[in-house]
Amino acid sequence: MTELMLAEVYKLRKRMMTWTVAGLLCALVLLLYVILWTTSVRVATFGNHNQFTGIDLRHALYPHWAPAYALQVVGSFGAILAMILAAGSVGSEYAWGTVRLVATAASGRIRILASKLIVVYGLTAAGVLLAMGTALVFGFVIALYYGAASFGPPGAVLLRGEAAAYGRTMFVLAPYIALAFAVAVVGRSTLAGVGTGLGVAFIEPLVDGLMRSAGSPWQSVPKYLLNTNRQIILFQNRLPAVLPRLGGGRGEIGAAHSPLVAGLILAAYTVAFIALAFALFRRRDIGSAA
Amino acid sequence: MPGDREILRTEGLWKRYGEITAVADMNLRVYEREVFSFLGPNGAGKSTTVGMILGLVRPTHGRALVLGHDMATHPWPTLKRVGAVIETPAFYPYLSGYENLRTLALMLRDIPPGRIDEMLELVGLRERGRDAYKHYSLGMKQRLGIASTLLRNPDLVILDEPTNGLDPAGTREVRELIPRLAEQGHAIFLCSHLLHEVQAVSDRVAIVKKGRVVSQGTVEELLGRGQYLRLRADDMPGLLRALDAVPWVTGAEAVDGYVRAAVPVARAAELNGILAQQRILLSELSPWETELEDVFLELTGAEAVA
Repeated sequence: MTELMLAEVYKLRKRMMTWTVAGLLCALVLLLYVILWTTSVRVATFGNHNQFTGIDLRHALYPHWAPAYALQVVGSFGAILAMILAAGSVGSEYAWGTVRLVATAASGRIRILASKLIVVYGLTAAGVLLAMGTALVFGFVIALYYGAASFGPPGAVLLRGEAAAYGRTMFVLAPYIALAFAVAVVGRSTLAGVGTGLGVAFIEPLVDGLMRSAGSPWQSVPKYLLNTNRQIILFQNRLPAVLPRLGGGRGEIGAAHSPLVAGLILAAYTVAFIALAFALFRRRDIGSAA
Repeated sequence: MPGDREILRTEGLWKRYGEITAVADMNLRVYEREVFSFLGPNGAGKSTTVGMILGLVRPTHGRALVLGHDMATHPWPTLKRVGAVIETPAFYPYLSGYENLRTLALMLRDIPPGRIDEMLELVGLRERGRDAYKHYSLGMKQRLGIASTLLRNPDLVILDEPTNGLDPAGTREVRELIPRLAEQGHAIFLCSHLLHEVQAVSDRVAIVKKGRVVSQGTVEELLGRGQYLRLRADDMPGLLRALDAVPWVTGAEAVDGYVRAAVPVARAAELNGILAQQRILLSELSPWETELEDVFLELTGAEAVA
């Protein structure tokens, strides 16, 4: 399967979409940093009880917390970009008719999809590191500006914490990537995958809210949906209280599950989406209309 | 000359989509060093058959065997020995011709790096190999399709409308390339609507209509070469009556001001003698030359070549 993965990396590396998605991710991290920095300069106090000051916010933007905040951005908005990448990876093959080319040149259909999925996930992992790197650089620039930059190596505890946060973020991205990928296979189109992915990313939090306020039996449904469980996992990533959590606060999620159960639910979704894509792609004819 | 080694065999191949039968009881054989043409009007089931041969479409019944391997169950690694351009070639639009072949070479493995340039040279795309595929003309896309087909040096080459979009010079190049490939040992499975080209390059032909083979054989057999005479006389009704009386003339009919008689060409002189004795003087006597297009139209009932 190595040869298929190499071919997939080659194709994605040469594709503008890949670099656009990476650029958007960096731009998003930068934009939020700029917004928070300017906010830290302009406001004296903020928060529900004015418990935070602009200086607190500025300190939270320094390199120490930069990777953690980048992971927050990735865990929320980054999922959308990852879904675009995943759906585009397989949907474009149908749009261009190259699915026939690949199917007659590759050693098995399962391997085709597996290589695509692995490469998309790998590129997403690289993209997350890029976002963390972007935040680190900008955090360092801010710290340097205020004369607070430290050139010392990060401590082992910090590194372990960031590695764990990185792992959690990659984990919560998996079902979204698998969803966009599966729908692109089912619908034989990038648009289907991206559309469904965006729909889930934006509409699910709204539906969550509606269901919670609708009372029994609807209020328990969000516990089993993607968004709630994603937030449960992401809440394990440490972040200073002064920085806003993206995707809603703890109160909106409520006491749903333990992180372990949330992880199992997300894993089940991931497996189900991947199984659907593989089963369909393996059995379905690849005809003249691809 | 075609060899004895069987490259492709389909055994009772069927494909149904619900109530619609796309392919029915398709039995084909293609041998090494053979140019086998597969003809039929649009919607006759050609692409579906090719899809089943390539393992892209699952047969409802029957098998497609390439080099003895069932393509529905074990398409790999046999597919590595099959090169195919199906309908319009499809490549990655943002990649260049070279990069598209490089992608294919990465997937196939074991393709020497120099082979890509070699193939681009062969199809006349060396100069434009670094240009993006999306800027290629249809003819250039076809050329790249042929290059991708030959990249893996396949035993079986499937070409679906390989001259589509090519200019006359390009068409001629492909027409010359096909028998050359067969001579090199490749088996060629050719689908084309250019029946004149097909007639010129094919060893055997199968004609399909509504998913069924309606005729299959060598070009000579299909055209009935050497089996019909073209006759003309002042007294055409008398000529027909006289032919009717000859026991070894198995059929005669008036066609476009001539009489087409089912008579082996070798007996033309003998027939002329018999007719002369009956005072039927022929103004014209020659072998009846049938074109593949005529046979195709007659068998498929098509009004024009689709």
